[in-house]
Amino acid sequence: MTDPFDTVAGYLQEHVVVPILWQLGWMKWEDLAGGWALFAVYGAAQVALMFAICMPLEKFLPVERWPDRSAVLTDVFYTVLQRVGLLPLVTFVGFYEAQTTLNAVLTDHGIVPPTLEMLFPWLLGRPVISFLLYACLLDFAEYVRHRVSHKLRWWYALHSLHHAQRQMTFWSDDRNHLLDDLLGAVWFGTIALAIGVSPMQFPLLVLLLRLLESLSHANARLDFGPVFGRLLVSPRFHRTHHGPGAAGRRSCNFGAVLPWWDMLFGTADFSADYTATGDVTASETLASGGYLAQQGAGVRRLVNDIRGDSRQPAPRPRGGGPGVRPANMESP
Amino acid sequence: MKTVRLSLVLAMGLVPALGFAQPLGFVLNSDSASISLIDMATHRPVGEVPVLRQPHHITRAPDGRFVLVGDTVGNQILYLDPRTGRVVRRQTISDPYQLMFSPDGRLLTITGLARNQVDIYRYDDRTGLTLWHRVPARSMPSHTAYAPDSSAVYVSLQGSNRLMAIATGTGAVLWDARVGETPAGVLWNDGALLVGLMGQDGIAVVDPADGQVRRMIKTGRGAHNLFFSPDDRLIYVTNRVAGTISVLDRATLRVVRDYRVPGGPDDIEFAPDGTLWITQRFDHGVLFLDPETGRFSRVDVGRSPHGLFLNTDQTTHRTAFP
Ligand SMILES: [Zn+2]
Ligand SMILES: [Zn+2]
Repeated sequence: MTDPFDTVAGYLQEHVVVPILWQLGWMKWEDLAGGWALFAVYGAAQVALMFAICMPLEKFLPVERWPDRSAVLTDVFYTVLQRVGLLPLVTFVGFYEAQTTLNAVLTDHGIVPPTLEMLFPWLLGRPVISFLLYACLLDFAEYVRHRVSHKLRWWYALHSLHHAQRQMTFWSDDRNHLLDDLLGAVWFGTIALAIGVSPMQFPLLVLLLRLLESLSHANARLDFGPVFGRLLVSPRFHRTHHGPGAAGRRSCNFGAVLPWWDMLFGTADFSADYTATGDVTASETLASGGYLAQQGAGVRRLVNDIRGDSRQPAPRPRGGGPGVRPANMESP
Repeated sequence: MKTVRLSLVLAMGLVPALGFAQPLGFVLNSDSASISLIDMATHRPVGEVPVLRQPHHITRAPDGRFVLVGDTVGNQILYLDPRTGRVVRRQTISDPYQLMFSPDGRLLTITGLARNQVDIYRYDDRTGLTLWHRVPARSMPSHTAYAPDSSAVYVSLQGSNRLMAIATGTGAVLWDARVGETPAGVLWNDGALLVGLMGQDGIAVVDPADGQVRRMIKTGRGAHNLFFSPDDRLIYVTNRVAGTISVLDRATLRVVRDYRVPGGPDDIEFAPDGTLWITQRFDHGVLFLDPETGRFSRVDVGRSPHGLFLNTDQTTHRTAFP
């Protein structure tokens, strides 16, 4: 009955994490450290699974081929840092602390914080179904946030780091400016608190959504067809969002996992062919710099945009610069 | 493993029709929002009760009609039928972590680990719990013990290395004193308080009059919780980090035996046949230890099992030995 993740995390907790906490005099964190260990194990497994699924896809069905893939390495660093280290800490320890404290105080004041299971008692004891319902609600929250981050000029100044990548691979999902990530986490966490997501499910929800988002960034000629493609975001659908024409205020295909919200609000484009990716308004550092250089360039762009300074690089002529290239460089 | 799962499914389907022939053990799976029901005769899981979020501790009401379960993150107290595990009632109570009835059965103290306060409730089997005193505490109030005459309750403050004493009549803080690193379980024994120190390797013997530590007794790394044996001769101490259980002679407080118990031992209950039931926080199981031989068997339950209750004939659980 014990699943392998629990077994591995339990072993780590008993033989590595707790003895270290004891040595450091941090035993009061023992309980929470167990959750962190569990979700770090899930995070590592998710990176491995993502690699196993996406690597063959990118090898055998590539949209583009690059002689020098060094720009991809930076994205690998973003991914491991996020999913094994930061995400378990923020999504479990941070969310748990915030939820228990906030909800207990509200309860003391006679306000019972809502949960889906209390609204629909049938869900109690059906964790898989409540998990999927929470996933849909949170995916909608992601759609709204993503759309707003394109609409607001200062926010897009940060989000352009994500769009700047011209060598988009499944590693690219986590390449975000730290401030953009922070805003995203606050938004996502606030919504999750408001709808009463279980603290044991929240990290898994984040990991599941992120796994599918990674797949949708893959450099692969993969389309889910006219029916399934309208149920789940495919690499082709999200690639359209990363096309040079969709970088900035006029954009489409904002959905992270479910294309339903784009279909509902008229922002879906299923017609485009596999396009090249990139943001012509982004500096070369944002596209191909190292981790710290990209973070610095993101802040500079933010400051410039807030000052109203419009000295952005002029759009390169079609087919000229690296930002805009013919889409079908590589035929299947 | 497969057969266990199958029998669980079968049993869950059959429960309402058959009822339970054997008395049940209750195991609170804190990280999988459920309570495992275990047949005390066969040690097999026979059912599962879903709870909202995170159940940690369980205790029997003085009249024996209910067992009370605290769901911390769900901010609820559940009243369960001890014979069947059926949820009879839910009451909204904020962050109920540890819950313990006073020896006279009139009061229930609930510690709010996340909200740093201790609530003393009056208990009535018809109306349930009514708040009597709310006492602000320092960081992370966790375990409790009472004076044998129920006049005071002692609460360990896990995050601030202290123990506090509260007068149950007035809700006044009598003292609040440093006792050692990360204090957890507390027990009143022979006019002294014994406190498990998770951040150290043993228990502190504390004076109930002023909170001063009289001496230390070494048991093992990560000493967590303490329990009287059913015959009142021994005290069992779980050592979470060392992975052992130390047995102390109650009169002399000398360690007379150690058991090797892997998987992060937490709470202990005593079955009428003499077996010790022990929750394993890291190993997601319950161990059944034979105290004579030191051998054990185990069964898988949910994630991070914590509180434990066995529905035996004994109606009150000894929490203080004058
Ligand atoms: Zn975007
Ligand atoms: Zn993207």
